[in-house]
Amino acid sequence: MSVAVAERSAAPPQHALRPVISFHGVSKVFPNGTEALRDVDLAIHQGDFCFLVGPSGAGKSTLVRLLIRDEAPSTGRIFIDGQEVSRMSHRKLPKLRRKFGIVFQDYKLLQRRTVAQNVAFALQVTRPGQRHMREKVEEVLWIVGLEDKLDKFPDELSGGEQQRVAIARALVHRPRIFLADEPTGNLDPDTSWGIVQLLLQINHRGTTVLMATHNREVVDLVRRRVIAIDNGRVVRDEAEGQYLREGTATL
Amino acid sequence: MRQIFASLWFALHSAGQNFRRNLGVSLAGVFTMGLIIFLVGGSLLFTHSVDTVLQGQEQNASHLKIYLSDNASLAAITNFESRLQHDPRVISVTFETKDQAKEQASQNPSIESALAVLGSNPLPASLNLDVRKLTYLSQFNAEAKAMPIVDSTTPTDYNSDVISKLNTVITVIEWVGAIIAIILLTISIVIIMNTIRTAVYSRRTEIEIMKLVGATDWFVRWPFILEGMLGGLLAAIFSGAVVFGAYRLFVQAAQGNLLSVPFDARYTITLLIVLLVGGVAVGAFGSFLGVRRFLSA
Repeated sequence: MSVAVAERSAAPPQHALRPVISFHGVSKVFPNGTEALRDVDLAIHQGDFCFLVGPSGAGKSTLVRLLIRDEAPSTGRIFIDGQEVSRMSHRKLPKLRRKFGIVFQDYKLLQRRTVAQNVAFALQVTRPGQRHMREKVEEVLWIVGLEDKLDKFPDELSGGEQQRVAIARALVHRPRIFLADEPTGNLDPDTSWGIVQLLLQINHRGTTVLMATHNREVVDLVRRRVIAIDNGRVVRDEAEGQYLREGTATL
Repeated sequence: MRQIFASLWFALHSAGQNFRRNLGVSLAGVFTMGLIIFLVGGSLLFTHSVDTVLQGQEQNASHLKIYLSDNASLAAITNFESRLQHDPRVISVTFETKDQAKEQASQNPSIESALAVLGSNPLPASLNLDVRKLTYLSQFNAEAKAMPIVDSTTPTDYNSDVISKLNTVITVIEWVGAIIAIILLTISIVIIMNTIRTAVYSRRTEIEIMKLVGATDWFVRWPFILEGMLGGLLAAIFSGAVVFGAYRLFVQAAQGNLLSVPFDARYTITLLIVLLVGGVAVGAFGSFLGVRRFLSA
């Protein structure tokens, strides 16, 4: 078993197409001198499902922020869909961000809007005047299993349901890439598993999914590609990896 | 087209909605802006009133009588008069003969009887000057003294003491007005920016989400700018009404009392329009600055 995993990790799957996300020698040093990422090389292809694992402060969130160009890398180049984003002008960012669907640990829902309004918000601000908005919102809420909670407010929902609303909002504009930064961080194991199932389902429809997580059980159960980051470096990249390197207590 | 209308509707709708939902913060902002607009408008009107009164005083005071010597020739007088008439500092010059001076003086009964006792006319002929500015009086006084045709014992009726005092008062009031206006303006910009920043801060999640899903900067800005404009308009309407009311009361109270202050309708209307436009502009600009910090990333 361990030999098989080692072999697979040595030879990641080959894709004929160019990667949808690629990092070339990317480093990020913050103004206070903190080195969050060091010389990261990565390629993620269309339709991949990747876990991004590592201890707190390892650089997972920095990597996510670099992807959506919330931060620019200090050195190196980042390509999304063949387009270099590392030096992209501020004006082009909205268009870049529409390629992503993003969810966070803290859901980031608008408390004074209903479930349907929260989801519709994403369409209103990116594609004002779009036709059939209501149908699109209902469809995506059906996908996440909240078709009967349209008119509820976030504080009337459980944590898992709120994260589903956030997922629906991130999905409604049909993103190419789905980023989940610790989406199960605030949820119990059963609910977490439900969320991961939903992400797998989204991936099954062809969307690339990148999930940064601490959740060891989930990573070990799903057995998909695992990119482990420690101290700003990619220390492991395995096609069907586990949270920890098998037989050891380290990443 | 459909997209533009939808964007506009979204901006208007969320501006209104945000204003209502955050009524406390919104009203605090309106109140602060209103107070400042009131202070600015009030001080402008007050300075204008004082200025009007003082200008009246200045006009009354800007006279100079140049007494002519009895043996000055008519040609020399005419020459001097025409030189003064062509001087840009002068509004008008009139020549007053000895007889006219006597006639004028005779309106005072005690002088009339004194003149009757004297038999002859001791009053000199004079050139009566109206000048544009108080400060010119001393210059003409000096020039007149150097003229041979001018009466050497009392060359003019120039009273340097009164005039320099009035001059000082006008200068001081103008400076104080300017300093107060600058202080108010600085305070208002700082307060408005902070108030709006607080209002924007309370909605940072909304801005964050908008940015995350890929809204453009202007799409994020417009609702806040419209909200700022709405707040500025409301503030200007209320404070404008208060300033207008206070001005009318002030004019009524001043009437017949101290110096009568004229009700300047034209200035008031212009001022109210300026306050309205200024309130809307300051609201919009304050929102623009307040939202900028949250859009910079």
